[in-house]
Amino acid sequence: MAASLVNNAQHRLRRLAREFRFRLNGWTVAAVLLGLFLFLPMAEVLWHITSPAENWEHLRDTVLGRYLKGSAILVVGTAGLSLLLGVSTAWLVACCEFPGRRFFEWALILPLAIPTYIAAFAYFDLLDRLTPLLIWVRTNISPEAMTWLSDMMVYPVTTVVLAAVLYPYVYLVARAAFSRQGSRFAEAAQTLGHGPQSVFWYVALPLARPAIISGLALVIMETLNDYGAVKHFGVPTFTTGIFRTWVSMGDLPGALRLAACLMVLILFLLLLEKWLRFGAKFHKTSPSDRPFQRYPLGQAKAGLALLCCLVPLVIGFALPLSRLAYWASLTAGKVLDATFLKLTLNSIGVATATGLATVMIALFLAFTARYFGSQAAGATNRLAILGYAVPGAVIAMGVLLVAGQVTQATGWILTGSLAVLVLCYVIRFLAVAWQPIDAGMERNCAQLNQASKTLGATPARSLFHVNVPLLRNALVAGGLFVFVDTMKELPLTLILRPAEFETLSTKTYDLVFQSQIPESSVPALCIILVSLLPVIWLNRQMRAPEQ
Amino acid sequence: MNLLTLRSVTKRYTATDPPAVDGVSFECAQGEIVALIGGSGSGKTTLLRVIAGLEIPDTGEVVLNGTTLNSPTRFVPPEKRDCGLVFQDYALFPNKTVSQNISFGKGSTDDPARIGELMEMADISGLEQRYPHEISGGQQQRVALVRALATRPSLLLLDEPLSHLDPELRDSVRTELLKLFRETDTTALFVSHDIEDAMVMADRMVVLRKGTAEQVGTQLEIYDRPANPHVARLFGKTNFIPLGLLPDAPHSFADETGDGQVVPVRPHQWQLVENSNDGSTAFTGKVVSTTNRGAHQEVLLQTENLTLTIHLPGNTTVKPGETLTVSCDLTV
Repeated sequence: MAASLVNNAQHRLRRLAREFRFRLNGWTVAAVLLGLFLFLPMAEVLWHITSPAENWEHLRDTVLGRYLKGSAILVVGTAGLSLLLGVSTAWLVACCEFPGRRFFEWALILPLAIPTYIAAFAYFDLLDRLTPLLIWVRTNISPEAMTWLSDMMVYPVTTVVLAAVLYPYVYLVARAAFSRQGSRFAEAAQTLGHGPQSVFWYVALPLARPAIISGLALVIMETLNDYGAVKHFGVPTFTTGIFRTWVSMGDLPGALRLAACLMVLILFLLLLEKWLRFGAKFHKTSPSDRPFQRYPLGQAKAGLALLCCLVPLVIGFALPLSRLAYWASLTAGKVLDATFLKLTLNSIGVATATGLATVMIALFLAFTARYFGSQAAGATNRLAILGYAVPGAVIAMGVLLVAGQVTQATGWILTGSLAVLVLCYVIRFLAVAWQPIDAGMERNCAQLNQASKTLGATPARSLFHVNVPLLRNALVAGGLFVFVDTMKELPLTLILRPAEFETLSTKTYDLVFQSQIPESSVPALCIILVSLLPVIWLNRQMRAPEQ
Repeated sequence: MNLLTLRSVTKRYTATDPPAVDGVSFECAQGEIVALIGGSGSGKTTLLRVIAGLEIPDTGEVVLNGTTLNSPTRFVPPEKRDCGLVFQDYALFPNKTVSQNISFGKGSTDDPARIGELMEMADISGLEQRYPHEISGGQQQRVALVRALATRPSLLLLDEPLSHLDPELRDSVRTELLKLFRETDTTALFVSHDIEDAMVMADRMVVLRKGTAEQVGTQLEIYDRPANPHVARLFGKTNFIPLGLLPDAPHSFADETGDGQVVPVRPHQWQLVENSNDGSTAFTGKVVSTTNRGAHQEVLLQTENLTLTIHLPGNTTVKPGETLTVSCDLTV
């Protein structure tokens, strides 16, 4: 065992040494440096896990436990509920036949278009509705019980709101996994005497496990990233804690240590995901020639299935959207003015710049690592895309740290500029563009790049004549997703936007916290409408393998 | 002078598995056609990729045209090597037309007349504006071939050039390829798992197994004097007779256990002997089974301690259970 480990390490070292000797060129050096640069802000935050902070002991003893508990309850609850909603609806839609199935197949994705904070604002009065219950508890049980209950009630409420818009991450991957499995395994199980239930538990679900876990990981990352919803409902989490410590208490070192703790937690979750997805290789199913023969459901069961699919759709999409639409119809005249046009253009401009920059950087990084088979560039690629797992607030802090150091060293003031904001978005959303580009390159361009090399083409020629034309779809999709994610982004924008710079998301947030919730519906609706574009596109993509 | 020289090239992909290529050396002269032959996992494709520059070997040297391409201190990237590679599944750029594919290579457009000539020779004239998915598999292969030749490489590498073809087409494609190589004075190195391809097309062959070169030579040398039982079996069924039973045999090698020397005897080298007292090289045994193979009958003969595979003329009538006496003639 030990010998083979040593052997392996030696082998890797030799490969790396060979790479440094033979494959070091302008491209790989630039890609490694760029990857490290994009990772730098996250590394800086992580570094502060040990840096001195005056009030740290106080923070640790008073609030750290609360934030940890709050985040943990929220993550477990949201992940659990999303798993339940996502997997059950995916199974029904992919493997059962009932009236309305084809409608739900695409409609169930729609909640993805609603950012968590907008969902929370649409349900802003959910907690208030429970006040009569609290009063009843106070009069009939005890004031302490009421306090306890009102503290605890924020969790189920927030969990339901978050899960209602985040479950599609699980639904999408689970549905794709179920329909990709085809009929072979289910038929084999059926001929061995297993009914639909045991096919689900013993065949389909284990096969879909790696995919479902990857979807679940996204739900968890989004939950940890959320700031607007938890702030609104008053849940003590890491994100709200970081903002509070930093902005309200003015304790930057303390906020940094909190952020560092959160980074550690996230790294742990990433490792956990990797470990849980262990075996994904063995679970790759070849596309079966025959699609799954859906189980026909009887009347009662079909009704139940209908209800199962209807509930998340209503809670996650129909209800918040109709509420926002109603409010918007009341307030549009007041909100829609020249300022609103300006902030819409701000949003579109920043999102377009971010989309373009991110796609170009992702293309360069993925291409360099793959084209030159560079281990070093591959490793720094992985570091650079970690931003997708790190809450926007943490990335923003890291970028501020780096910018501060640059100012110290050179005197240039970077903070408060649009360039820094865009850079921050790039770090946060790089993975969104990198993943489809990298996967497309592996699938479509690997051998063609070799052909290109043996024909004497330069790397640039291979990039622009072979990779770019073949990856057009992935490039457009990546850019579109980054565009929308940027439009929706809130915590990072709140921290890093230049003074007087408003976007649709910050406007929504500002209006809500000026208690102008009906007015906030107009920018919120704009964000949702734009977000629907990639949702529709995504749905078409995910269905493609079925045909 | 040798065009291509490989000196103890070794390449391993993982720390634990045995090397994919293990100390292979051979040479290739100007104008020669050489086959790298071996089963799956023999390292033949890895070797081709090392020569093309797509893999970096752990140790060893590759020299082409007097230029060192690989050495412990040197690596010339594929785009700077003077060799072309035809991929097993052609790797045509799907977004480019046939003529764009062909003119993609470095320096391929320097001599437009040559491209026309090559396309003429390869019988793909008129397809210039088609996309790869609009032409047949055979045409795709010829486009890939012309694309590689258009850069005027000193050495052309081909990965399993005939593996995608059905048996009827194979023969004619072999001839066409050979003709094209001769007409363009191409030095070619191709990988194949099929001994027939190598026999028909190659001037010399390198037999690979588990990453090592077991034998390098012309077909005749290898057929007549195989280096070991594995190489002997490449050419079909072979009987391994202990040297003690055939002391006059011109060629023998160690058997697979390494215990003794054996003589390879091919099934067609046996003949029936009427008189069993005729010399010491006769073997007598019982017929276990007979299989009619059209031109000949394959007979399994169980002697005292050997099971022999024998080919007899198709019109011979033997039945299982019969006793036969055979001797071998190693000169045919």
